[in-house]
Amino acid sequence: MEAPQQITSRKDPRFKVSMYEHVGVKNSWTLSYYLGHGGYQAAQKALTMQPSEIINEVKASGLRGRGGAGFPTGVKWSFMPPVDGRQRFLVCNADESEPGSFKDRYILEDDPHQLIEGLLIGGYAIGASKGVIYIRGEYYQGYQRLKQAVAEARQAGYLGSNIFESGFDFDVILHRGAGAYICGEETALMNSFEGLRANPRLKPPFPAQAGVYGLPTTINNVTSLASVVHIINNGADWFSSMGTDDSKGNKLYQISGSVERPGVYEMPMGASFRELIYDLAGGPTMAIKAIIPGGSSTPMLPFDDEHLDTPMDYGSIATKGSMLGTGGVILIPTEKCIVNATWNLVRFYAHESCGKCTPCREGIAGWMVKIYQKLVKGFGQEGDIELIEDMADKIRGKAFCPLADACLGPVQSSIEHFRGEYEYLIKNGKPMYSKSDWWSE
Amino acid sequence: MKVKVNDAELELKAGTSAIDAIFAAGYDVPYFCSQEYMSPIGACRMCLAKIGAPRKDRDSGEWIIDEQTGEPKIFFFPNLMASCTTAIMEGMVIDTLSKEVKDAQNGMIEFTLVNHPLDCPTCDKGGACELQDRAYEYGAGQSRFVFDKRHQEKHHALSELITLDRERCIHCKRCVRYFEEIPGDEVLDFIERGVHSYIGTLEDGLPSNFTGNITDFCPVGALLDSTSRFRGRNWEYDHTRSSCLDCAVGCAITIDARTGRIERIKAARNTQVNNDWICDGGRFGHEYVDADERLKTPLIRRDGKLTPSTWEEAAAFINDKLADLGAKETGIILRADATLEEGVAAKALAAQLETGQLDHFPRLAASVIPQGVRATLNDVATSDAILVLGDVSEEAPIVDLRIKEALKGVTPPELMPHGVPLADLRLKERMPRQREILTVASPYRCDLMKHAGSTLTYPAGTEVELLASLLQAANGEGEISEEAAMRLGSSPEQLNDLLKRLSGAKNPVIIYGAFVLAASEASNAVQALAKAVGAKLLAIGPMANSYGLEALAVLPSHARYSVQEMLRGSAKALIVSGLDVAKDAEAAKALKELELLVVHDSFANATTELAHVVLPAKTAYEKEGTVVNLEGRYLPLKPAPVENGQSEDFCGLVKFLGETMGTRLEGRSVRSARRLLKKRLQLDLSELSEEGYLSPAKAKAASKFKLKESYELEGNLLLTPSMIRHEQLSRNAHLHAVYGDAALRLNPADAVAQDLNDGDVVAFELQGIERQAVIKRSEAVPVGLMLLPALPEQPAALLWLEPTKLIKAAVAEVLA
Repeated sequence: MEAPQQITSRKDPRFKVSMYEHVGVKNSWTLSYYLGHGGYQAAQKALTMQPSEIINEVKASGLRGRGGAGFPTGVKWSFMPPVDGRQRFLVCNADESEPGSFKDRYILEDDPHQLIEGLLIGGYAIGASKGVIYIRGEYYQGYQRLKQAVAEARQAGYLGSNIFESGFDFDVILHRGAGAYICGEETALMNSFEGLRANPRLKPPFPAQAGVYGLPTTINNVTSLASVVHIINNGADWFSSMGTDDSKGNKLYQISGSVERPGVYEMPMGASFRELIYDLAGGPTMAIKAIIPGGSSTPMLPFDDEHLDTPMDYGSIATKGSMLGTGGVILIPTEKCIVNATWNLVRFYAHESCGKCTPCREGIAGWMVKIYQKLVKGFGQEGDIELIEDMADKIRGKAFCPLADACLGPVQSSIEHFRGEYEYLIKNGKPMYSKSDWWSE
Repeated sequence: MKVKVNDAELELKAGTSAIDAIFAAGYDVPYFCSQEYMSPIGACRMCLAKIGAPRKDRDSGEWIIDEQTGEPKIFFFPNLMASCTTAIMEGMVIDTLSKEVKDAQNGMIEFTLVNHPLDCPTCDKGGACELQDRAYEYGAGQSRFVFDKRHQEKHHALSELITLDRERCIHCKRCVRYFEEIPGDEVLDFIERGVHSYIGTLEDGLPSNFTGNITDFCPVGALLDSTSRFRGRNWEYDHTRSSCLDCAVGCAITIDARTGRIERIKAARNTQVNNDWICDGGRFGHEYVDADERLKTPLIRRDGKLTPSTWEEAAAFINDKLADLGAKETGIILRADATLEEGVAAKALAAQLETGQLDHFPRLAASVIPQGVRATLNDVATSDAILVLGDVSEEAPIVDLRIKEALKGVTPPELMPHGVPLADLRLKERMPRQREILTVASPYRCDLMKHAGSTLTYPAGTEVELLASLLQAANGEGEISEEAAMRLGSSPEQLNDLLKRLSGAKNPVIIYGAFVLAASEASNAVQALAKAVGAKLLAIGPMANSYGLEALAVLPSHARYSVQEMLRGSAKALIVSGLDVAKDAEAAKALKELELLVVHDSFANATTELAHVVLPAKTAYEKEGTVVNLEGRYLPLKPAPVENGQSEDFCGLVKFLGETMGTRLEGRSVRSARRLLKKRLQLDLSELSEEGYLSPAKAKAASKFKLKESYELEGNLLLTPSMIRHEQLSRNAHLHAVYGDAALRLNPADAVAQDLNDGDVVAFELQGIERQAVIKRSEAVPVGLMLLPALPEQPAALLWLEPTKLIKAAVAEVLA
């Protein structure tokens, strides 16, 4: 018997929205609503299973981390050392701060119980009795809803001791960030949670060996944990029936920029950019020249048929020289000066550099941003492009954490695809396209 | 493990970092953030290298072979790796010479210099700057950075002792890590982020006793010793490696002198003693040496006035006076930090004068040479159960650091061909500490207690009782009663736990200082306890050479000839070196009766006022000689070129006297003294290595100890040892600015009872010595106790002072 065709389009009738099913519904964030729509059933089911069964189920589903790096979630869970009586932590990384990414926000705001349930299942799977949600400081609404949800869950016994009479204890600590993008990096997040300066830590030791307070820790993205709820509910086969060979399941894609209906769209992995941009988001509102495929750190791609028909999965985008990242698609209009648009992103990374290592602190935050400013203000000189390229070579792969490389994504790709605009700006002292003031100060 | 660095193959232990492999192979890579004895963090990204290793096939377990060469195939990491944070692997290949690596180094130097001001011509670090050297060796020679550099504060006083130039900082984080990892005082951190980040403190100043070390290892001129700022260029200094004589540890130091002045003192490395660290007292306490009022010529009292003279005249004058005296009538007193060679000279002089009245001071009731198994400082650092009796952080600050080293549970690093490993991967930022191995007992709450798993504050003077209770229980001669433990500020559980921990440990160490040494019974008890639990002993003597002078027997021939007796009239003539004995009013009276008083000192004081002859003395930094530290380690002293006029050490004094007497006394010079010592010790002290020589311990049976029925509390004022040398504090302007005048610390409740406020200056008489102190209320002091810094003339002891005798200085003036 031939295996049924994989679901790779939202238009496939077999596809059903799961994680975002209740987003936008009034009072969807309350426990009563959640329970009325099948809430905490997955957790109840999971707590009757062996932890190893859950890990195997998640492994079988093919779920890869949704925070951007795409590391298989089940495999990550299996890295935890054997239970030895020490406190273990499951940390949820809700410090969503990458420009172009806003998928977690609506789960936090409209469906917080889904996250708590995912955390509970994950905590049970890895033997952690403490869950930590590190939530971006600016997500105040999400924080309030989550706080209320945690209180409700505690009251109703979904958090606390002996949950579902299983003997498993679990509680959640909410921790708000203070406005640093670097805290999305898992080791910096742990430092920040401990009350230390948010600098990334040396790996190894990896969090599973020595994480929060030096104790075994696993860190997962909000969407990864939300996915787990549905994997337990519907089975690994359901999840892996969606997507492509290396990218299983459904994913929350975000789209912003000049489109009719920007927002978050839940789609099976492997759907094309075209489906997202035209079928769901209603198409561009003006001529577009570049797509940033997965959040600001992913190299931009030209807006053409070749790229529009690329499936949005880990492997396919990589072959085009970019990354799936968080799935935060940004469209850059033709009229917008690409140097200026890149400067906007470089400014962001320069502002967010933690200052720990030399190439990022001095290279990106101290120098690169100034060169872009110089270009944009019309003072560019011959050789500046080559200087940027050379600096990028000397930074890429040499910094302590991925933040510096993330900045180089837009820098190098914009030069690769739009070198003419850079040259024009340097030669004429003004941009090829006049609409430059959108993102500048 | 086999590792190949460029073309050199070498065998190294697993766990070695790649940067150490590179240096062990004789190659060099630049680095800024790595630092010996501290955790590697990989922040500066200078030590990038191309690193690869062979891989084993997952199924067969065999090495994957390169088809072409037939050798195991090397899989290189996709990116260059920071060699300081990469551990070596079997068969690892490290390349530091390829163009890829050179380009990366080039780029990283350029980035590092982006915001570094090129003010080298006015920077104190110039000529000794790691960034300068590395930029020269590994940089491209020019920068393409055309923008304004970051401007930040250039003269930020972190404390009175340390100045921070924030523009020069390259964010290597050595200083921040140092404070957390070495002294455990988290007083410094980065503030702000990204390119705006800078080093700063939350509160004013750097509340730690070990702040100066950050000026030694700062790779640029960002952190500078305020005492030496703008005093000279690095190439103008004479660097003299010597040993510090401020306490019994004997840390290795480098004395930097220029045009006859000591401009600064830096820590030198002694892997056996102080690693790379010294305390602030030792580092900044040198300014007195260059004080204007230093005595530089011999003085003879003529017509009641001290008049300048020469050594020959002075010697003749002394000789004339001594000739009239009989045997045993002359007394000789050395300060306890006199060198062994000076000790030999003093003994030779005493022999010549046929007197047994020879002693060194301060010398406490008990011997500083433990009877039992002696501990070394490395024993302390590797110990798994430590009992500290007293306030070691003040008494011998480096012992405090070595204890904290033990708390990390990482043994001192094994030396590599290039010395101490640059990146010891066992060390981590913010390591968990095994506090439980440390117990600190002291009559008041001391600094080390913050780091101890178990602390106990016993009533001052009950050391014997505490030790006796422990000993009894250890010997199974009696349980510790609830009542006895309560009286000692403890509980039977705590004391039993302590005993269990000590006797169950592999390498237990008991460290004790002046409070125990002040009573020979307590000292006997601690030695018996050590024997009972199998612990090693580290006794902290009152001064730098207490151990050596006692071992050399620079001691009176009879108890009636001790210093105390000499100052009460047992001698008719006295030669006093380095001690202001006339501070004691009663002693001063006796001194006035002397036929001859010779004072050998560096400064005029109450005793020189009474002296017939005053001879200028060399300070600790100007002497050549040898001292024996608390471990029994012989350590060398080398003279720094300091303008000291006609100052001589005690050997010089003996030389001149001997010449006048027409005899060549042993110890008339360092060489002569060493000839004698060589015969005695089978050790040529002129060839002593920089790390010193640990004398073999002589096994001595511990003295018997018997518990008395009861012990009475003897006092309410405890003279405490301190890191700062209070006798010179007024001449050490920078230290004085931080530490202020000697403080009388007492519990706030007592202060209220006596109507004393913080900052009140009080004057009082303490056993004949006029003392002045500033009131400092402190919760660390138990009710009913007062703490006052000891002086060389008034060493650690528990005394009685009627609190009502504390008279505020203003009132005292009126009364006067």
